Amino acid sequence: MKVRFILNNREVEVDVDPREILLDTLRYRFGLKSVKRGCERGECGTCTVLINDKPVYSCMVLTVQVEGQRITTVEGLVNDDLFKKIIVSFAEKGAIQCGFCTPGFILTAYALYRIKDKPSIEDILKALEGNLCRCTGYKKIVDALTSIRS
Amino acid sequence: MSIEDPYELLSKWFEAKEYLVVGKSVTRSDSIEKAIGKARFLEDYYEPGRMLFVKQLLSTEPHAIIESIDYSDALKLTNIVGVFTAKNIPGINNVGYALPDQPLLAEGKVRYHGEPIALIASWDIDDAFKALEMIRVKYKRLTPIYDPLEAMERKDILIHDEQGSNIAFTTKVRKGDIERGFSESSTIVKNTYKTHHQEHAYLETEAALAIPDIQGRINIISCAQYPHLAQRIVSKVLGIPASNIRIITPYIGGAFGGKDDEGPLVAAKAALVAYLTGKPAFLIYSREESIRIHPKREATIIEYTSGVDDNGYLKAIKVKIIHDTGAYTNRGPYILWRATMHSSGPYYVPNAWVDGYCVYTNKVPQGSFRGFGNPSIQFAVESQMDELAKKLGIDPIELRLKNLLRPGMDTITGQKLDHSVGVADLVDKLARKMEWSKVRRELEDWNKRSNRYKRGLGIGVAWHGISTSRGVPDWSNAYIKIERDGSVNVYTGIVEIGQGTPTTSYRQIVAEALGAPLEYINVVFGTTDAPDTGATHASRGTSIGAIGVLVAAAKIRERLNRLASDILKTNPENIVIRNGRVFDKISNREIRWEELIQEAYNRGVEVSATGYFYLPKGKFDDKIGQGFAYPAYSFVAVAVLVEIDTWTGKVRVLKAWPGLAAGKIINPTQVEGQIEGAIAQGIGYVLYEKLEFGSKGEILNADLTDYVIPTIQDVTLDVEKPVYVEDKYKYGPFGAKGVGEMAFIPLPAAIANAVSHALNKRVTTLPLTPENVLKLIGGL
Ligand code: FES
Ligand code: FES
Repeated sequence: MKVRFILNNREVEVDVDPREILLDTLRYRFGLKSVKRGCERGECGTCTVLINDKPVYSCMVLTVQVEGQRITTVEGLVNDDLFKKIIVSFAEKGAIQCGFCTPGFILTAYALYRIKDKPSIEDILKALEGNLCRCTGYKKIVDALTSIRS
Repeated sequence: MSIEDPYELLSKWFEAKEYLVVGKSVTRSDSIEKAIGKARFLEDYYEPGRMLFVKQLLSTEPHAIIESIDYSDALKLTNIVGVFTAKNIPGINNVGYALPDQPLLAEGKVRYHGEPIALIASWDIDDAFKALEMIRVKYKRLTPIYDPLEAMERKDILIHDEQGSNIAFTTKVRKGDIERGFSESSTIVKNTYKTHHQEHAYLETEAALAIPDIQGRINIISCAQYPHLAQRIVSKVLGIPASNIRIITPYIGGAFGGKDDEGPLVAAKAALVAYLTGKPAFLIYSREESIRIHPKREATIIEYTSGVDDNGYLKAIKVKIIHDTGAYTNRGPYILWRATMHSSGPYYVPNAWVDGYCVYTNKVPQGSFRGFGNPSIQFAVESQMDELAKKLGIDPIELRLKNLLRPGMDTITGQKLDHSVGVADLVDKLARKMEWSKVRRELEDWNKRSNRYKRGLGIGVAWHGISTSRGVPDWSNAYIKIERDGSVNVYTGIVEIGQGTPTTSYRQIVAEALGAPLEYINVVFGTTDAPDTGATHASRGTSIGAIGVLVAAAKIRERLNRLASDILKTNPENIVIRNGRVFDKISNREIRWEELIQEAYNRGVEVSATGYFYLPKGKFDDKIGQGFAYPAYSFVAVAVLVEIDTWTGKVRVLKAWPGLAAGKIINPTQVEGQIEGAIAQGIGYVLYEKLEFGSKGEILNADLTDYVIPTIQDVTLDVEKPVYVEDKYKYGPFGAKGVGEMAFIPLPAAIANAVSHALNKRVTTLPLTPENVLKLIGGL
């Protein structure tokens, strides 16, 4: 099936099997390696992408469902100021260890900060509860995010 | 001649009074790459259709003879290149680490539900799954055993016939005379403790990509924590020389010990397919496969008796440790050794009698997981300490301070600890800083006023021997070369599993010792192109692994000092090299780093070196369990404040106060990261995580929905800055000891003690799920 959507600000078209998940399409057809496979069941958040600016597990979405939608991964945000602010804060605060969860956390946080520039701690925790991290204990991730509240 | 002797070099840098970059929170070199998705992990190398996709057929029986495996139908699928079983292994199928009891692919018999039996190689992922459905295995069922206590007794059902018993391995420690010790004791406490399995749940599952190259070699992109071990295992399985096998390691998405056990086996399975087909072969574990196949944290039963005299001094301990090792020993004997050696806790105990049993059952094997046999035994030790304190009517900290090891004392294996024993200082400092007594008192008052919610404060103090147990050889090595332009390459077998060793501490150590700018240092990690560095496990990446890095850098530095003194016409002692500036501190004459290196190339001064260091150890007598156990110990203490909802049984950790005596702290931010991560993993273990086994010994919750690891809402974010006692170890790089596992080790004890304090009831069984807590309260 042919599907057209906007991927990182570019219009793209792919011909996919109706059962193909967006995670596979992004990794295998577009080489977007920031989208990680942690569980393939909507449990871990490592495959998070933004669909129309909202964080979504790409393993739970069929590619045919994103016809006409806007998909963003971290690769598409490298020149974005808010994104840069978030990643620099993550790096400086030591919020990145193995890094497997990191793009997912950053996209989720980015989506939150786009709609709220002064989120409360509760907002941050609520937003990030669907992203698992087994390394950091989350403290430095929260530190990184609270320190950029403007 | 410049100094090349590693002992001299280590002691020279050990004496350093000030540091340029060591001890500073230098930012990791991999953070930004990871944040923008450029850092490569294993699956990032897979290209569908251009490499074989490997799928594993797993056993659906816990204990059975394999009568036949019929894959003829599967082979008819167009994309299937082959199905491979134990029969196809050209070398040796036996890959057991500690004992030769474990096959790479089941041979003759299966011993746990989930055991790998066959490998399907397919050009297409969908066909691999189809083929899996088409393979028929005929089993003849045998009676399974799941309970280690039953397994110990049964002689009629043997999980490994060749062993003649289900007890795979035993350990012991005998010190002094426990009868006398107990007769001198006025207070004796006896309890049986039980701890459960833990799944690592690293977010990246296991994978490997094996690529045959034109010279008949096999290159393997691997997730193993010890590349040289993966090389050895692959060499054995394929029956080809190790020199024909090259292992490289990309970034690894978490490991915690799990990829130390499973990593080499994943590499061997991918390599087997690549070798047999001549094609690149990629094997990845789904989450379910990962949970079903790989070894878990030990599940234990510990019987513990301890006695103290009137003055609160420990007189004797008697301990029986039973480890359920599952279907294979894997690293079980080493895990049991570590538990046995540490069974006194960090206390002086004059009389000890300890027996350990590593017991087979038909379940997933036991394996390496942060702490390696130590968290469970420290849970028992520290629970005992609190019970003793309670019976004696003294404060738990006071009892500990009376008994903690101090320099010059000997351990239960009779090893005298002459230096680097900062644990008593640590506990004292931590208790003062957190105002232990005041907080305890306030909580007790709070509890009087609160009906539904109860709060408690508990501490766990622990020790952890650095390096391998019992004087088993351990060494360090690294290879460093300075390129002509002054940039530096460091080659190490240590891998980057998230801990930050190659990406921070190695760069810091090399920049410190060479005097080159930090940004000039590049670390090539996780490769068999480096000399055998030993594994990235046992908290040894920085503590042991970096010794070789420091020695190699220090050798080159000596040569550069001489060269610079020739150029600047002064004594080598007057040469200062810092952050790329090379100058004579007397005349202040100066040249740049790049010029110095250029001159080294021009004048024939070698700017490459290896840093081999063989760790001096003593002897250990297995028969009586006495002798040299470890070159040094790291010490850790964590106190936690918990709140229990007595209506629901839910426990929350509200706050944690960690402290470490781990020698020189090389990078405080990274150390904090290890501590905070370990605390969260410990909270998960004690409060949320539990494997459920079905009637076939199968894991029922082999996914992250039903096996619950903590989310951001489930941990405490209130982790105080750690208290450090820098009790430097003379052979550690700049005096550093290990850190990675530490904060996990006392966590089960700390939480259990806090819950016991809150409820005034002794916790002896983990996990503290709401159901178990309600049982403890008496509400169920
Ligand atoms: S891979 Fe999609 S949520 Fe885990
Ligand atoms: S940094 Fe490893 S899972 Fe988050």
